[in-house]
Order: sequence, then structure tokens, then C-alpha cells
Amino acid sequence: MAGRKVFTLSLLFSFLLSSWAEEPFRVFTTSTGQAFSGKLISYVGQTFYLKGKDNKLYPVQFKQLSANDQKYLIKVAQSGTVPKGDPRLLKKETPETEPSPSPSNDSTPDKADPVKEEIVVKPLTKPKPKLRAGSFFAYKPINLGQDPSLAAENTVSAIPEPGEPVDFTSHVLPILDERCFSCHNAPYEKNGRTIHPKAGLRLDTHEWVMKGNLDNTVVEAGNLEDSYLYEVITLDEEDDMFMPPKGGALTTVQIDIIKRWIMEGAKASAGSGEAISSDMSNGVSFHQHIFPLIEERCLDCHSEPYVKNGRTIHPKAGLRLDTYEAIIEGNLDGTIIEKGNAEESTLYAVITLDSDDPEIMPPKGDPLTEDEINMFKQWITEGAKENPTDTFAKPKEEKVALSPIDGNNEESIVEKLAKRLKAPSKPQMAAAQKSGALVTLLSMRHSMVRAEFSSGPNLIKDDAIGALSGIKNNISHLDLSRTSITDSVLGEVKKFNNLTWLNLKNTSVTDRGVENLSKMPYLTYLNLVSSKVSDNSIATLGSLKSLEEIYLWNSEVTKNGIERLRKALPDTKISF
Amino acid sequence: MKSDITKLDELNRREFITSAAKACLGVGLLPMAGSYIHNNVNALEPGSRPATARYVIYLNMTGAMSHLDTFGTNPDAPDIQGPTKSIATSADGVFLSENLPETARHMHNSAIIKTMVTSQGAHEQASYLMHTSYLKRGTIAHPTFGSWVSKLSGNINTTIPSNVQIGANPAGAGFLESKYGPLPIGNPSAGLANSKIADYLDETRFGGRLAMAQKMNASYLNQYDQKQVRAYSDLYKDAIKLMRSEDLKAFDITQEPEQMHELYGKSNFGQGCLLARRLVENQVRYVEISRGGWDTHDNNFEAVANNCADIDKALSGLLLDLEMRGLLKETMVVLTSEFGRTPKINPRDGRDHWPYGFTAFLAGGGIKGGTVYGKMDKVGRNPAEGKFIDPASLNATIAHAMGLPLNDVQYSPSGRPFTVAHDGKPLFDVLA
Repeated sequence: MAGRKVFTLSLLFSFLLSSWAEEPFRVFTTSTGQAFSGKLISYVGQTFYLKGKDNKLYPVQFKQLSANDQKYLIKVAQSGTVPKGDPRLLKKETPETEPSPSPSNDSTPDKADPVKEEIVVKPLTKPKPKLRAGSFFAYKPINLGQDPSLAAENTVSAIPEPGEPVDFTSHVLPILDERCFSCHNAPYEKNGRTIHPKAGLRLDTHEWVMKGNLDNTVVEAGNLEDSYLYEVITLDEEDDMFMPPKGGALTTVQIDIIKRWIMEGAKASAGSGEAISSDMSNGVSFHQHIFPLIEERCLDCHSEPYVKNGRTIHPKAGLRLDTYEAIIEGNLDGTIIEKGNAEESTLYAVITLDSDDPEIMPPKGDPLTEDEINMFKQWITEGAKENPTDTFAKPKEEKVALSPIDGNNEESIVEKLAKRLKAPSKPQMAAAQKSGALVTLLSMRHSMVRAEFSSGPNLIKDDAIGALSGIKNNISHLDLSRTSITDSVLGEVKKFNNLTWLNLKNTSVTDRGVENLSKMPYLTYLNLVSSKVSDNSIATLGSLKSLEEIYLWNSEVTKNGIERLRKALPDTKISF
Repeated sequence: MKSDITKLDELNRREFITSAAKACLGVGLLPMAGSYIHNNVNALEPGSRPATARYVIYLNMTGAMSHLDTFGTNPDAPDIQGPTKSIATSADGVFLSENLPETARHMHNSAIIKTMVTSQGAHEQASYLMHTSYLKRGTIAHPTFGSWVSKLSGNINTTIPSNVQIGANPAGAGFLESKYGPLPIGNPSAGLANSKIADYLDETRFGGRLAMAQKMNASYLNQYDQKQVRAYSDLYKDAIKLMRSEDLKAFDITQEPEQMHELYGKSNFGQGCLLARRLVENQVRYVEISRGGWDTHDNNFEAVANNCADIDKALSGLLLDLEMRGLLKETMVVLTSEFGRTPKINPRDGRDHWPYGFTAFLAGGGIKGGTVYGKMDKVGRNPAEGKFIDPASLNATIAHAMGLPLNDVQYSPSGRPFTVAHDGKPLFDVLA
């Protein structure tokens, strides 16, 4: 197979003498809207190696790319025109097919998108120490009872090589151990008190890291932006939420390892027990999934009878859950599990009651999590078997989506604009705040910004607006109401190309100022209540075809003017 | 131990400075000075999605409004309807009681939930549940919805508080920091207490005194240029800034022209609504106004008609005024009570407590205008259409429109987790 590939490759190259590129340069876009121009060199699993115009290699995760790019990559991969394997290793295997980079490529101006460079595998800052042959430090530690030859092969160094997949146990866990465990470990006893992990967050095993805490998960596989863990370690050190709070920031190498681990899918180490127990895609197993949970949450009360202080303690409600047979048998009242029907099963009913219901199980501690409940449901639906068979019925997804259920699916102008832009950086936002305005993103991670002069607006003069110009394309909502601005400010405002919402209520703005608004393409809301605008502005206002609503009460516009405006903008809500 | 009398002639240093400042500067520091002015760092947090309602005016009908004679008429069931007639509104197919003719003109901007339900049938407990989404317990004080808004979103206008309560005060910030609790205003016409320069001081004399105080401080400040020392003088600066700030005028409804007072009606409730509009104009996030007198166990129909004359004028005036000023787009007006009143008319021509199937009226920002959610059956006990909506879900609906994170967990001092709307789910049918 490999031989054939090399053959095909060399064949191809003999035809296409000039360069390696079977695949042309094309623009790749990520699902977050960043663009990057490059050509596909090779791929390993889900990682695709792109060569940028600067001739550097950029490994990119399949998942990061837009749907179009994914289709393209699948097509190319299936057609077999691109080799499989790490390009750096490929070079060594097929040195004769490796062309020298063409000079024309070198001379092309370096246009690599700066955002993209985040994904570059950074060369490690610390060079590996070169050790004298036979040095004590060159030996690898081998655990007792381990075959030394095997151990020597298997040991993974604490720092992954560039291109080597990051391993949770050997690379990530040591970092967490060193810097996080002192607060985020399993609960332990100290001076007779149980010390719980801070923020209810444990980072001591892969399973716990992925679980997060009550607030949310802290790691989203393949998604750096949604991974809170990554966010807090990369915050400004002055920030309240910066982690770790003591002992300074993680080193760049450590941050890089965590970043790569998340980007590579935040996987557990191969062969570790947890990996199996959290993976339910092949069905729920009684022994691996269900029983550990029952052991932890139910057996305090529902175990076999035992003797304590000379008294026999019987299981509560006469119900034992300590063996598979006992669970299926139920108690005197009847069975607690109807195989294949979770809704009819008493066990399922009592764990899904409202958290303030007196009958809820377990009665102490937190209710079971949604995932745990779903696990029970899936197990019962699959027939509540002790040993799962090969075929499983997947339970229906019943998660309630909270966000985009608005009646109209039509995307608003603001959302369309937001997709074209990058959110302003923190320093940019801070600079804009200097204007005296409250500057906020419309919502978390939105790229559009609202700027409003809310506190002490009477002190705001024309010069304030200058500080906003650094983010002028991001401003979609601007509230200048009640400020002491004059017409000249609107000369600046007209440069805010993506403005959709403008409030000039209670200002001394006149027709001369409003003239500046004639070229605002996306303006949908305009408030001129109690301003000095008169009928002379009707022509300008009438030309704003994007307007959805305009407020002119208590301005100097007359009834006659409103009639003319109604004719010019028949679909706009005009409040007078 | 010093007695109060010895204290009178022997002031300690701190007391001396406090009273000297009061005397020299003519100000008792504003009631909330310490908490608001100086910690104005909790600026607006962006929510997980853009907010469709940035401000909420919550009209609380205490004593439980008779839903059948106001927003929840049921013309199909004359037995329970009594003498109250239904009238058409500006929204097709939506009917209100004849007691609310002015509000009926605004139904195209409003929605009604007709299947509200609560688990509590006593005023205090039900009102607590309505405001906090949690049942009243002896061991904990839950924060009111307004306090949640203040905590989760922060101030837009950092000079004045973001949570204001006009009229009766059901509960405060609960286990949250007290600065998130409502700023209480008893009488809307009186404005904010202790925030004006004393009458006997004119601007020049006040300035003179300030200058003298600064002169006296100058050498000390020079010698001890420390954070704590500077903070103390900053506090004064901030207080004076607020005293002179335009923002403070938000609390002063005497600045409104006479026709505005008339638009809202001269009742206390009407004037409260006028104040609420001024506050929202100054970007106060949450204003609640209480209106009592709804506990109509006797003589229900006359009492409700009288009350409605007030609230109809105030509510329609509020909606009209907000609309004229372009504020209705981002302001949600909510009107509801802790529960409803019995479909059965009692022998004293009254209606009693009824937690099943009362109404909530929502208008303005984030609301799908002209919608009615649900319908009660002919005996007014169960939904004929739609599902029962509990207080937590009503609060979740409002919170969703405000862009607040419904899953943000805040811990009580004993470490128990609470969220803004408990287990409520937003009712998307009434949201735009």
C-alpha cells in the first residue's frame, strides 16, 4: 500500500516537475470565521497539514474548519492524491520526491493570517539537555515489576515532541498535579474536617476534568474558546479569575501542552480505565457504568442487612441494590425496573423527581446529574441487562435547547454584521472605555459592541467620541442621549459603518448634524426625540431605507413633515 | 464602658470627623454612598445572548388581583364571569375586561399568559415565591428577582443603583450582597432622601467650604500619599459628583411638565409609574411598583372597577410614554399579582384566593405583541389550552429576554446553589 503511494507520488512528480502541489492553494475558513490561505500537504487521522504561503507547516484539526472545507478535505483524502502521515516524517521517507521550495513562493509577501498562527506548533523553548553517554540522568525510571525493555519503549517524555499527540496522563496530568491539585483535588480529611475542592471543581482524573463543576464544564474538546480551563490560565495575571492564583502563571510550554490537548480532542490516555467508563457510545454496561454509581450514591441505605451496635440494620424500604439480581428483584412493593421502559420504572421515576420533592432519591447530596440520569435511562431502555449485547437502542435526545428558538428564523442585520467581524480585543475595549462610555459586547463572544454614555451624560462633550474610533466597525449600538454633544459629532458617527441603532434623544442635534447620516447603510433604529431636528431633515431621513423605526416626538418636525416621511418610508414605524 | 451621656461630650476621632464633615459640607452622605459610589466596578456583564429587554418595570398588584375581571376574562363561561363584560382590543382576537379600555389600545404591543399557577394560597408566601422563584423557608432569605438582575448584569448607569422598589417592599437581596437589593422609595413625589445641598448653603459658600476642607487636608495628603487616604477623599469627591450629577434628577418627578403627571394620573401608583419611566430613561435596570387594595373578598366588582380606573390610566400612560420616547423597544412592562381570585362568586359578592389559573400581562421589549398564551376551562380550574405556567417560569421568561444566564449558580452562605429562576423554563410562546 505504502509502496504504491510512493510510486504514485513519484509518478506524479515526474509529470508536475515544477512543484509538489497536487493540491492548489486555496482559502480555508474556520467555523469561527477566520480565513487562511494554504495548500494541503498531508494528513494524519483528523489532523491536516497545510502549508502556508510563508512555507511553514500548519497542522489544523478537521473539526475546526468550515463545512465547505471539510467536504473538500474528505474529497481529497478519498481520492488519495495526498499522502497520509506527518509531512516531516514523509520527507525523510521520500527525500527524492521532496522539491525545494520554489523561489517564487518565497518571494510572496508573508500574508499568513495572524490569528492562524495560534495553531502553529511552537518550537519548544527549552532545548533537550544533551547528556553524556552513561550519565545517571539519561536513565529512565522504571517501576518495580516492570519489564525494563518495554518500559523504555513506552515511556512518553514529559514534554510532547512537536507533532506528537498530547497524552493526558503523561503530559497534562503532571501539570495539573504540580499547579492545580492543591485546591482542585478529591475531597480529603484534615483536622477532622472534610476539605472539598475549591469551586466544586476536581482536576485529579480525566473524568473529573471533563465533568467540570456545577456551573459548567471547563473543557470543551476541540474548542479552545469554550474551554474555561484554558481561558483562566491565559487571562491577564491581574485578573481576579486568573489561575493558578498562587505561584505565578503556567509556563508557555505548559499552556501550550494544555492547548494542544484540548485542540486534539481532550482525550483520555489510551488504555486507562476511565476512558472506557465514560464512553457509552457502545451502550451502557451495568458493571462499568451503572453499578459504580449505585455503589457511590445508594448503598449507604440499600445494602445487605448488617449489624451495628448490636442491632441489625435492614435496608431502607426493604430494597437492596447491592447486586444485579437484587436490583431486578425489587422489594415487597414490586419491581423497580421495567426492562425497556424507563418511564414505567420506579427507580427512574424517583431519581428524576423535582429537587425539592421529599421522595427524590438519593435523599442526601445533590440529585443525580443529567448525564447520570440519562445513563440510567439508556441502560433501562436497552433492557437493563447485566452484560450488554451488541445491539442497542439509543435513547432519544431530550435536551432542551435554550437559545435560538425565536419565532422568526430570519437573521437580524446585527447578527449578519457580527459574522463578518472579529470581536474587539480587551485593550481595544479598554481604550474605548476612555471615552467615558460604557462599552459592552452585545452578548458573550459577540463581535458587535454597544457604546452608551449612561453615567453623568451631561458632562460628555464632542471630544469623547474620538476614543471610540478604534472599534468603530464593531459599534452597532450607540447611545448619545442626554449628552452635551453638538452636530459635529455626527461627522464622526457617520464613519461607524456598521451602526444599526442610534439614540440622539434630548440632545441639541439639528438638521446639519442629521445630514451626515444619509450614508448609513444598516441603520434600523433612530431616536430623535426632543432634538432640534426639523422638517428640513425629512429628505435625509426618507433616504434611510433600512430604517425600521424612527422616533420624532417633541422634535421640531411638523405634521406635514411626518406625512412626507410616511410616503418616503411606507414600511417604517414612525412615532410622532 | 462609656455611657451614651459621656459619649456626648467625648467624641472619638472618627465621630468627630463624620460630624465635622456633615456640618462643614452640609451633607449627610447619601444613604447608599458607601456601597454604590465607591464600588461602581460591577459594570454591565454581557449575557449569553443579546438582550431583547434591557429594562423591566414590574407592576405588582398586591393582595391578588381578580384576573377574571381584568386580564383573564372568559366570555364563554358566564357563570363564573359575573357582571364584568369583555371588550375588543387593538390586537385581533384578544379581549380584556371593560375595566381596562385604555390598556386595550396597547394590546398589539402586549401579551397575556392566562394559565399562571402557584403553589401558595396565602399572600406573603405566594408573593415571596413570585419574587424569588423559591418557596419561603425559615432557614434562608432568597434574593428577589430585581436583586438577581442587579447581581447578574450590573449597572448600566454606574452613578445610581440598578434596582429600585417603589411602594411596599416584599424582600431584599437575600443572601446576595446587600448592594444588589432594591433601593426603597416610599413616596414617588419625594425623590431620593439626603441627596440635596442644605437650603442654607448657596453654591459659593459650599465651594468655599470645600476649598477650605481641601486646604486643611493638603499638607496631610502630601505627607501621607497613600491609597487609603486618597480613597477617603475620593469618597467625598464621588458623593459631590453624584449630588451635582444630572443622574440624580432621575428621582425628581417635579421636573416633569403638568400634562405628564396628568397622563399617568395623580394617584400614587400613577406617579410611581412616572418615576419608573424617568428611572428607565436614566438606565436603571429594574423598577418595581406595588399597588395594593386587591384583596376583594367583599364587593369585588365595585372595588376592582375602582382600582382599574387607576391602573388603566397609569399603565396605558406608561406604555404610551415609553413608546413615544422610543423606550418601549427595550423596556419590558410586567403586571401580575401573587395569585388570582376564585371563579366562584361568594355570597358577599366577593371573590376569594385562587392560585390556579391567574394572569400575567407582559408588554414591550422582547415580547411578541398581541399574543395570548393558554386558556382556562369553563370552571376556571385547569388549562383548556396550553400548560400551567409557574412563577419560576415567568421569571425565567423575563430573565431570558434580559439576556441573563439562567444557569449561573450563586451560592448561599451555607454553600447551597441557587439560580435566577430556580427550575423555571422560559415560555418562548410570548417572546419575540
